[in-house]
Amino acid sequence: MTDPTFPVSRSDAGNVARQNPAFAVLSILGRTLLPVFVTLFGLAALTFFIGRMLPIDPVASILGDNATQEAYEKMSRALGMDKPLWYQFGVYVKGILSFDFGDALTTGKPVMEDIARVFPATIELATLAIVIGTGLGIPAGVLSAMYRNSWLDNAIRFTGLIGYSAPNFWLGLMGLVLFYATLGWIGGPGRIDFIHEFDLEPVTGFHLIDSALAGNWEIFRNVFGHIILPASILGFGALAYISRMTRSFMIEQLAQEYIVTARVKGLSWARTVWVHAFRNVAVQVLTVVALSYAFLLEGAVLTETVFAWPGFGRYLTNALLVGDMNAVVGCSLLVGVIFVTLNLICDLLYRVFDPRTR
Amino acid sequence: MITKRISRIGYIAAAAALSASISLPARAATPDTALVMAWNIDAISTFDPAQIGEVVTSELMQNTCDSLVDFDPKDESKALPLLAKSWDVSEDRKQITFHLNTGLKFPGGAPATAKELAWSMQRVVLLGYGNAATLTEYGFAKDNVKERITATDDNTLVLKLDNPYPTNLILQAIGANRVSALLDQKTLISKEINGDMGNKYLATNTACVGPYKLVQWNSGESIVLQANEDYYGAKPKLKRILIRHVAEPGTQRLLLTQGDIDIARDLSPDDLADLDGKPGLKVERVLKPQLFFWTFNAADPIFKNEKVRLAMRYLIDYDGLAKSVMTYLGVPRASFAQLGATGALDAKEGQPFKLDIDKAKALLTEAGYPDGFEANVLIGTLPHSAPIAQSIQQNASKIGVKLNLERMANAQLFARIRGREFQTGMLAWQTGVPDAHGNASRLVYNPDNRPEAKLTQIPAWRSAYQNEGFNNRVKAALLEGDSTKRNELYYALQKDVMQQGPMAIMFQMYNTVGMSGKVKDWTWNGFRVYYNLVSK
Repeated sequence: MTDPTFPVSRSDAGNVARQNPAFAVLSILGRTLLPVFVTLFGLAALTFFIGRMLPIDPVASILGDNATQEAYEKMSRALGMDKPLWYQFGVYVKGILSFDFGDALTTGKPVMEDIARVFPATIELATLAIVIGTGLGIPAGVLSAMYRNSWLDNAIRFTGLIGYSAPNFWLGLMGLVLFYATLGWIGGPGRIDFIHEFDLEPVTGFHLIDSALAGNWEIFRNVFGHIILPASILGFGALAYISRMTRSFMIEQLAQEYIVTARVKGLSWARTVWVHAFRNVAVQVLTVVALSYAFLLEGAVLTETVFAWPGFGRYLTNALLVGDMNAVVGCSLLVGVIFVTLNLICDLLYRVFDPRTR
Repeated sequence: MITKRISRIGYIAAAAALSASISLPARAATPDTALVMAWNIDAISTFDPAQIGEVVTSELMQNTCDSLVDFDPKDESKALPLLAKSWDVSEDRKQITFHLNTGLKFPGGAPATAKELAWSMQRVVLLGYGNAATLTEYGFAKDNVKERITATDDNTLVLKLDNPYPTNLILQAIGANRVSALLDQKTLISKEINGDMGNKYLATNTACVGPYKLVQWNSGESIVLQANEDYYGAKPKLKRILIRHVAEPGTQRLLLTQGDIDIARDLSPDDLADLDGKPGLKVERVLKPQLFFWTFNAADPIFKNEKVRLAMRYLIDYDGLAKSVMTYLGVPRASFAQLGATGALDAKEGQPFKLDIDKAKALLTEAGYPDGFEANVLIGTLPHSAPIAQSIQQNASKIGVKLNLERMANAQLFARIRGREFQTGMLAWQTGVPDAHGNASRLVYNPDNRPEAKLTQIPAWRSAYQNEGFNNRVKAALLEGDSTKRNELYYALQKDVMQQGPMAIMFQMYNTVGMSGKVKDWTWNGFRVYYNLVSK
């Protein structure tokens, strides 16, 4: 299967690899990680300088309207804002290298600590959402392609269009009115009922996992009742995107001659579609899923606000509104890391699924 | 064939939907021994009484950290005993001696005395955060505070003032601004980092004497206060106060109507109007010491003219706005002294303006702008800013005044106004004391109008407005010993400032809550909420 006309740089690496496997690993790591570090450094620099140039005064945000100029200058010095920009950036980068992102102005705590607190809430929500979005979105997209232009295809596309275009906060509020206020099927806003809030010992920060670990199924049900609606709404958005993309990939595959050949040879429709056609689009679908997941992990600020979900999106937005640049840059870097990591994982999986990239 | 396949899929989907919606546990009503509130608590960043400047933490502190004196729930301008059971004032009014209650204890049982209180009050000045102004304004400074605030024994605290200020004003100031919270000196000293007197520790803890104590705070999520068993005063009626962070008013409303919370603190005016009078629910409001105003930059060639500023006041449709946008938000008020304050004009005299386009036109003609002018209005994200500004914009256009509205984040608005980088702008201002002096000292008095003086905490300076006559009258009223005469001085000052001042004050704002019918004795005034009196 190896392609003899592989790009030159790769065959070079191959030569080196043949000579010294350890060197090859280093070279691959270098090739992969260097752009990652350059990307992250660029992101940090960009966010930092944009943040410092915003016409928002973080000192006034912290001290409030009533502070004297003396208190103002004291705080300004404490934040290092009296120093030149390049110097501030140098100090910041030095901090980052030792994983110190500084203290968030709004909470007074280290940014890392804040992120560690808010991020699990978002990961939990995003993961459930992507499970829903993928679990329903891929089959929906494949079915749509299989029965192209049938009423089923139209129904799926119409539903997708709603998921695509209806604003999340509106769906969220309507969902709450219907399922929480009217039908009483689910828990209200928040991650858990208030009366249970302090019964749950935080271990991982993921309420579903923590309650399962504790074997407390009543709390598990309660948490599930709270997460299912926001996760479904976010999942609905992901579903719309994933099913649409899957559909178009599949339509392209189903028009290929090998499909006709497979059918002529007597393979069933289902086997042709799922085993032959879908396998060929799996890699592309995977990219779409990974991208959707990355977007969900950024935090959905409107959904988080409507559902009183103490997550990452709301934290970042609040930080941005008051000019809390330590928190903003820290969060931006995290988002950068998420995207880069998911891209790397995708790259690796490409190699697993697609023999041509090996 | 397709139909058959699809119907099979349909069955599966239906089964999945059913299993997903198997009924979840029914919601429990809120507990009888606890008050459950939904509130936007994003702004909390510290529990250090020396540093806090925002309303949410202030309210929590007032219920966890007693002050020397309290406000009368029914009349906020009256001071009542709290940590101090009584006080004496020297003849020259320059010394107040407080006699503390006996048996004061910190949560946990350690005794709390006047010595810790003196340290706590000195600490406010020594740390020099925003709250220090409450004391420095009355002559306390870093170099004299240890002599001027002293404990003569375990139960006696003496305050020495540099001038004969009205005693009631001093009591109001130390009651309102958390500067006389009694802090646990030993604990704070043991947690000190780089001489911060426990400031870092108090970012996430409380250490004082009060009816409740903070037992849990998850930043941006929830707060739990628990009744303090060691409290010296009457025990609170409810054991716990549970506060959950909910930023979205619509969500608060749902929680309230479903009975999952007892109190919603941030309902929108529409929600309040809708819920008011619904069975099982109540809406309550109280005026707070916050004014919403339109401020003019007196350094601007157009707005330095007093007549132009007066003309603008006649473009404000006070009554129309009060009946529409502002119904649940505030009442018309043009005087700088808020209703409820000592020395404030009554509701009628304190708001003599009404929409009068012709009068505005005449004033502009006198001012030399018969055909109007063009100007910018900066507004922030307060929900009522835009509708009020638009209403004025419309009225202004009738006399050729073209107002361009520029909307921005509040932090940006503050930065522009504090930096004098504006022509006109709309924002709110809250005073710390129920006395006319509170706002006179900020909205009227400006000791140094030079840009480099940077008195950014004084809105009059931000407006580049200085009037020596007004300055002297503010000083004279402050030190007037006869309370009737003092009030007269303020009445006259308010009337003049309304005509000439650098800002068109428009509304005094309400605090509003939506609450369940189960809640009884929700007690509050413009300066505090009394959690300890609430029952169910």
